Amino acid sequence: MSAKFLIVLRKEIRETLRDKRALSFLVVFVLMYPLLVGLVLHKQIDRATRPEREGVAIAVIGGAQAPTLMNQLKQRNVTLTEIAPTDEAGITALLRKQAMSAVLRLTPEFSDNYTAMRPARVELWFDSASDSARKLDEVELVLRDYNRQIAGARLLAHGVSPVNLNPVLLQRYDTGTSASRSANTISTMLGIFFIPAFMFCMSTAVDSTAGERERRSLEVLLAQPATPADLIVGKWLAAAMLSIIGITLELAIAHGILKWLPLEELGLSWRLSWMDLMMVCLASASLSLFAAALEIALSINARSFKEAQTLVSLTMIVPLVPVIVVPMLNLTTSWWMYMVPVLNNQTLMRELAKGQSIGLLPFAQTFCSSLLLAMLCVWYTERRMKSERYMMTV
Amino acid sequence: MIEVHNLRKNFGKVQALSGASFRAENGKITALLGPNGAGKTTLLRTLVGLLQRDAGEISIDGADPARDPMTVRRNVGLLTDQFGLYERLSAREYLAYFGELNDMPRADIRRRTEEVTELLSLHDIIDRRTKGFSQGQRIKVALARTLLHRPRHLLLDEPSRGLDVMSTRALRRALAALKADGCCVIMATHVMQEVIHSCDDVIVIAGGATVTQGTPQQLCELAGLDSLEDAFVKLVGTEEGIEL
Repeated sequence: MSAKFLIVLRKEIRETLRDKRALSFLVVFVLMYPLLVGLVLHKQIDRATRPEREGVAIAVIGGAQAPTLMNQLKQRNVTLTEIAPTDEAGITALLRKQAMSAVLRLTPEFSDNYTAMRPARVELWFDSASDSARKLDEVELVLRDYNRQIAGARLLAHGVSPVNLNPVLLQRYDTGTSASRSANTISTMLGIFFIPAFMFCMSTAVDSTAGERERRSLEVLLAQPATPADLIVGKWLAAAMLSIIGITLELAIAHGILKWLPLEELGLSWRLSWMDLMMVCLASASLSLFAAALEIALSINARSFKEAQTLVSLTMIVPLVPVIVVPMLNLTTSWWMYMVPVLNNQTLMRELAKGQSIGLLPFAQTFCSSLLLAMLCVWYTERRMKSERYMMTV
Repeated sequence: MIEVHNLRKNFGKVQALSGASFRAENGKITALLGPNGAGKTTLLRTLVGLLQRDAGEISIDGADPARDPMTVRRNVGLLTDQFGLYERLSAREYLAYFGELNDMPRADIRRRTEEVTELLSLHDIIDRRTKGFSQGQRIKVALARTLLHRPRHLLLDEPSRGLDVMSTRALRRALAALKADGCCVIMATHVMQEVIHSCDDVIVIAGGATVTQGTPQQLCELAGLDSLEDAFVKLVGTEEGIEL
């Protein structure tokens, strides 16, 4: 192999740079992933930092009949609005407007029944299909407490201890911290940053192999004084280069966004320095090399651009496996994770985000494992291209 | 000079070449005449080392494509029957790409590009991207690519297909120039007119083997007929693969 691969590389890059569709695809993906992840995290932070108990606004009919209940509701940050008595249709219309989360109606007979110690009816009208219905837990809790208080007072008046009302005491303990809850989320998100490595190079990888075969220019190219290795390496590096540039830009944008977001509110951290990021980008360059090599190895056998595109798109599912499945398994970080492409990039990023010092070995493992697979793919492609069976079909 | 002796090539059970032998001299245009499926494309591919022969000898100015394909390819210009160009490159860039692959210095590429542009009248398309080129324009650009690095041997697979009158004349001019230059040209074709007009020597090939070789005149005498077309039909035993 001589420097001829550089000639092929230059030509493929020039052609790709003139392919407006491929370029806009690249720009969209470079921006889309970091922005999407940033937006999702921003929403989560927003939700996490919102005041604990946002006020629930409910309308009350006949509230004057139970002043203590009204006071207790107000203490729990429930905003009450007294409205004129209305029928079912009126209440439904009010709820549909979504001005109120619910309507609390004390029937006109409430006072009489209450005084006579008969069950006094309180009606809670709400729309379970609406968003605000979820906030009603608070109102129901107040109602239950109020119920128990009255019952307790009445039993006490009859000389019975209110303890009898609580044969079982339920105490709830939640051991999940917000950090452990979001660990899986962030792990998957970090993995997703590396998936576009397989997309950025797709157009060039497919076009320069299956596309060239479809346009019938491959035979002439093979008949030039250049070895199949020259041709393949040139095409491979051209495709990989786009992917490397794309991933580097994408990670830089993502880094900027994640550094800017107050992730500590979610119990997450992003302790990467720009130096760390550069190291990750360098180690991840081999993932781009692998992605391009794999796609070229797949599309070399396809007879048309479309066929190759379908085949390559299908294999896009493979890198998703470590990204989605492995975080679910809740495994602790171990050395073999740095030997599996995509998973190693993901693990590297996760450990660095935690602020762990991991030494140089994981970087080397990450770089070499993907590179090894890339070389295997290139070797296969070169052998395939040399074969007579292949020549017969170009 | 290209010498081929008893060339054999099988694809599984299919015998593509079953003993082709001929000699194409320098400074002559040799026509390769044969019906469809006679093995012309396999022969041309074997000559540039894209396919390996099962048996026989090939010598292209003393070089064997099986042992030293790079030397052979540097000395050979191949025009295949497919004219795929790169749509996002201009004709000039396309020529430069292949010039570089053939180890030409930049200055030579520039100079030769001007020369082939002149020879094949490419002025109006040389700086246009090749997307949307007509069949004739494609063949002219592909032919320019074949001639660019001044190969001593040319293997042309139906170069006149789809060319208009002006382009056909340009092709004839180019062939005459090559001949005067002392190049060895082998041209596979179906067009008898082209053979009579341009070729000095004719190889008749059928069923993967050489039937005979000689000047058009000699072929007519051999078949005992006046027209080359009739002679060809008689020699090959089929009317397939002839255009007037």
